Order: sequence, then structure tokens, then C-alpha cells
Amino acid sequence: MKKRLLATTLAALLAATSLAACGSKTETKDTQTTGATSAAETTKAADTTAAAGGKVTLNLSWWGNQTRNDVTKKAVDLYMSQNPNVDIKVEFTDWSGYWDKLSAMAAGGNLPDIVQMDYSYLNQYQKSGQLADLSEFISTGAIDTTKIPESIIESGSIDGKCYAISLGSNAPMMLYDKAIVEKAGVTIPDQMTMDQLYDISKTIYEKTGTKTLYDGGINMMQIMARANGSHLFDELTAGKEDSMKIYFNTMEKFAKADFSISADLLAEKNPDVVETKPIIDSSTWNDFLLSNQYISVSKTAGRDLGITMFPTLTDAKAQPIYLKPSMFFSIAESSKNKEEAAKFLDWFTNSTEANDILLAERGIPVNSAVADEIKPKADEIAQHVFDYVAKVSEVATPIDAPDPSGKGEVEALGKTVVEAVRYGDATADDAVAQFVPEAKRILEEAAK
Amino acid sequence: MKNNQMTPKRKETLVQVLNKPKVAGYVFILPFIIGFLAFLAVPMILSLGFSFTRYNILKTPVFIGLENYRTMFFGDPKFWKVFGVTMYYVLFSVPLRLIMALAVAMLLVKSTKLSGFYRAVYYLPSIIGSSVAVAILWKRMFASDGVINALLKIVGLPSDIAWLGRTDTAIWTLIILAIWQFGSSMLIFLSGLKQISVSLYEAATVDGANGIQRFFKITLPMLTPTIFFNLINQLINGFMAFTQSYIITQGKPRDTTLFYTVYMYQNSFTYNKLGYGCAMAWFMVFVVGLLTLVLFKTQKKWVHYEAEG
Repeated sequence: MKKRLLATTLAALLAATSLAACGSKTETKDTQTTGATSAAETTKAADTTAAAGGKVTLNLSWWGNQTRNDVTKKAVDLYMSQNPNVDIKVEFTDWSGYWDKLSAMAAGGNLPDIVQMDYSYLNQYQKSGQLADLSEFISTGAIDTTKIPESIIESGSIDGKCYAISLGSNAPMMLYDKAIVEKAGVTIPDQMTMDQLYDISKTIYEKTGTKTLYDGGINMMQIMARANGSHLFDELTAGKEDSMKIYFNTMEKFAKADFSISADLLAEKNPDVVETKPIIDSSTWNDFLLSNQYISVSKTAGRDLGITMFPTLTDAKAQPIYLKPSMFFSIAESSKNKEEAAKFLDWFTNSTEANDILLAERGIPVNSAVADEIKPKADEIAQHVFDYVAKVSEVATPIDAPDPSGKGEVEALGKTVVEAVRYGDATADDAVAQFVPEAKRILEEAAK
Repeated sequence: MKNNQMTPKRKETLVQVLNKPKVAGYVFILPFIIGFLAFLAVPMILSLGFSFTRYNILKTPVFIGLENYRTMFFGDPKFWKVFGVTMYYVLFSVPLRLIMALAVAMLLVKSTKLSGFYRAVYYLPSIIGSSVAVAILWKRMFASDGVINALLKIVGLPSDIAWLGRTDTAIWTLIILAIWQFGSSMLIFLSGLKQISVSLYEAATVDGANGIQRFFKITLPMLTPTIFFNLINQLINGFMAFTQSYIITQGKPRDTTLFYTVYMYQNSFTYNKLGYGCAMAWFMVFVVGLLTLVLFKTQKKWVHYEAEG
């Protein structure tokens, strides 16, 4: 009897405690997976010492890749050595983990003092009052914007107030492996159409056996909608299918082609992470990314990769390529040291010494004087980015309005549906019929 | 006790109060009580409350009654898909892990010079098994250019399989990882095995029972309380699996490895639908509670307690 009682109580206790742990589990796992220095816990302790001893602690967090982590930490170290009263604690994660973590921090009211912000999330965070108004620091001169183009400040402004300073401009690009393309004897135009991409891919596969990646992400959806003379989220909010029909039909055409990387290999490679992009180990000859990722991909691949614009449609109604003000830095409304955070932002954007270290990894510096000074110093790889962004700026059309709430879930839905097409479980028509109404529902729900 | 109550009340010092046997007990368990309230009870009650709200994590929650539960059951096909995936995972990983644990425990039950070493070695995977490092190791092992395929190539089997990318194999890489982490169940089985009286085996041997008969007629029935404990323990663990799915496969391909907990996490923190995430959590509490209850109800039928026998 004794034994039975013990087993029963133990099991019951275990059931109760482990279930209860489920709720909190998610958060702990988050910090584990990111591998980031968990500065969040130390924040409170540091704040009190700041008040007592005059030393200010700032938390700075960003998403990124290894190259960015290295250069940013180096720049931060330099700043701390010049400003001994400031102690900057850094945290970094990859893109998707970053937003999970940031939303949890925001809910808890302890956003890091300085957060890297993206154009697509700026709206949500500003609307919920998480971000500090930077206009006052700009007017007092704490953040010097005299050499920053007005359009950059505007891109981080909502209702006339600036909430984020962009650190550089980017543009979507397609990468290609120069050696493989040369071997196949094809030339890559500055911007190709989807049909050209299809033909080139076929030739490359026949000549070299190297496969092609067709981007199934939200960037491509936006590009397609733009080429079709419209905007992705305008269409989805209205439940219109036009652009998505083109998108999924092209998607299906590429998915069915022999030259495309197989769905199962692609699922394994995960092109969402810079370090595992299929072009790096030559699983494919091409890849799609934003120009700021180019340096990191090139360095990981260990070879010089060619750049061309995102493809467009054969009978495009508009040039889809755009410049994206990106890599914003914002200051948290909950920060206790906004003034010091603003000073750091000023140094980060306007000083040559900081940008000497950062070397345009986040994009071309927004301070035009700094950009001019940096450009000759940048290595060959960074030069490619400078040149590409300059080329895009000649043809680019204005970027879509900032993404609405619910973008993250629509993006995930898109990936699910695209996978169904890739695995041959859905036709293009099925995909459109599934994606558009569901996306509309998500956006309506998120707008509530 | 009676005397105590009868005496008229008079002022006692704090130390006196604390030293009373009744009070001292509570003082000693206070650290646990505080931790339990702060980190389990209160968050649990809060999450139950949030499950009735629309709570965009960046905004204040709005009460919407049972709307989240309605969406979950009738408006979210992905919910049932991930529920099915998780059930499948639990259904296979838990019994297989227990079989593995029992098999290794049988091997290690005999005391030899090295048995302590072997026990430690086999226990190791269950300590490190749910860590991120092992998840990444697993991902590399089952990559199309990984160790598993290389080994298959050596023995001349097909070696170009993208284990993690195929809808029919990806979940099994996670199940194998779960089986590999059999250590803690193994230790419990070991202690269970040691409690079985040697005289039973001796008697059976005298009666001419062979090894298989002894296993099924003695070992297994005598172990049922241990099996029962392990089963419930592992069942709950199975439903809580998170890291494997989150790190190794990210739910890919085609959501065939998207665990319930990961989808719950995505809803809560990626899609900022914390209210919905909380509702999902409470449905899981219900399901696991129900399964545990069913197991408890059936134990009369198959769990053998010596004292009653």
C-alpha cells in the first residue's frame, strides 16, 4: 500500500508541476535558443548602480549575423573606452528570434534602451507607445541630423515625429555564383524577368547540374504585387487575388521544374538564415536577400558573388525594385537614460570612427559626409553593395507603406502555403484560394 | 493539543510563535511556497484569465469571452494539425523510449565493476538531450551531407535522403532523439528491478521457467508500478517537447514537425496573440490532465502492487 501511495502522489505532483511549467517554459527556451548574452536580468541591478555611482548603463539589442555582431561589439567597445561613464550591454539574436523576444520584453515594460527596429515593425511598436520621440533630441542637437537627408528622417517618422533613425539604405537583390554562371556560358542582365530567370535556370542546370532557388518569401510577394502595379497588403486587406494569382502561378511553374532545388533539401537548408543559405555550399547558383546581408553571405561563402536586381514580370506595370530605409535604431519610451542613448545614437550615425569599424555592414551610412569618407576605405565586397544601392536608387520606386499588424502571421501563412505547392500538395489555384481569404482574416483580426 | 486550545490567549513573542511545531513547518516550506506562488500559481491563474482575452502583447488585453477557444476548435485548421503531430510524437516516442529504457536497464542491472560507469554513460543523453547544442548536433547528423547518410553510404544503402526535409521522415528524427534520451526512465527501472525479490526468480528457475517466461511472468508484472510512474512522467514530458521542434526543424516540412508547444509559442510571441496562446496552453492542461486521469483509472487493471497481491 505504501508503495502505491508513493507512486500515486509522485505522479500526481509531477503532473501538476510539469504542466504548470508549460506556461513559463516558452520564455526560458527563447533566451536559450538565441544564445544571446542575457542582459535583461542585469538591467535592474545596473539601473540602481547608475543612480548611485553616476555610471550609466545602456542596453542595446539588435538582430543580425556574425559579421554584424563582431563589428557592432567593436564599435560599442570603442564608445565605452571614450565614455567611461557609460556601460553598454549588448544583446543580439537572429531575425525571427529577435522579434519574439522583443515583444515579450515590451509586454514586460523592459525594452532595451536602444533597439534595432525594422520598417515593417515600426508602426506596431510606435502605435503601442513603446518608442521614444526622438524629435526633441534632434531639435536640441543631441542627435545631429544636419548631414542626414530629410527623406531618411521622414522614413522613421510617424505623424511628424521621428521615432527611429535609419542607419542605412538597402535594396532587395538576387545573388548568383559567378563561377557557375560563367561555366554555363550565360550572362546575367541587371534585372531579368521571371521568364528570363526560368530560361537561364534551365540552361545552367543543363550545362552544370546546379539547381535554382525560387524565393517563396514575403519579399517576392511584395515585389510581384509591385510589378503588377499594386501593393501586397492593400490587396490582401481588400481580399483581392490578382497579384497572388501571378505569384503562385510563377511559384508553381518553378516548383515543377527539374532545375529547382528539391523541396525537402530546401526545407533542410533554411534560406532564412544567412549562414545556411543554399548558395553558400553551391546547392543552388542563386539566392535572394537584402543588400545588407550581402557582406555576410559573401564572407561565409568565401567567394565573390554576383549581384543583380530582384526579377520583375515580363509585362510589368511598374518597376518593382525599391530602396528600403533599414536598420533603424529607436530608443525605448521606458528607458531611464534617453539622453545618453541619444548621444550614443548620434555617435553611431555621425562619427567616422564608428563607421570606420561598422563599414556599411548595416547599409550605406545615412550621413552623407561619413558615407563619402567611408566609401574608399570599404573593402571590395562592401564596394559592391555601394555600387548596387547606387544603381537601384536610379530606378527605384517608392517603398510600400509600413506593414500592418499581423504581417508576421501572414508571412508564416505564406510560407506554409508555398511549402504545400513545393511539395506538390497544392496547385497554384488551391494556394490562392487558401492564402488570400486567410490572410484577409488575419489582418482584420490583427487590426482589432 | 487540546490543552493548548483551552488555555487563555496570551501574548507570545515572535520566536515563540515561530517555534511552535505547527508554525515551524510552514516557515520551513516558505521558500517553496513563495516560489510556487510567484512562478507557478499566479502566472497560471493569470494565463487562465488571459485566455479569455484578445491580448496583442503590445496592447492591453480586451475581454472576449470564449472567442479564443471557439477559434481554436472551429476556426484554426493548423491547431488540429499540430495537435495531431504532437499526439503522433507522444504515441511513438513514449512507449519506444520506455522499451529502450527497460532493455538497457535489464542489461545494466547486474553489478559488475563497470556497471556504475555504464549507468552514468547511458544517463548522460537525458541530461544534455534537450539542450540546444544537441539539437544542432542532431540537425547536422541528419543533414543530407551528414553523418547518417555517410554511414549509409559505407554500407551501400541509399545515401541522398534529406531526412529533415521529407514529410515522412522528419518527425522520426525527432522521435529517435527522444528515444535516445531514455536515461532517467532507465534509472527508475533499475531501482525497480533491484527491488524484485531474487527468491521469485529462484523459485521459477526451479520450476523450469526459461528466461522469457521469467521476464513476462515475474519481471514485467513486478515492474508495473515503475512502468506506470514512468509512463505518466514521460507522457507529460512528451507533450512539453519544444526545443527539438523549434531548433531542429522549425516545424518544417509542411508543419509535420510543428509541436503544440512551438505553435503556442509562435502565437504568443511571434504573432503577438498572447490570449490565444494562453487558451492553447489551457487546452493542453486539459488534455494531459485527462490522459493522466485515464491512466490512473486503468491502473487497477494492469498495475500490480505487491502488498495487494
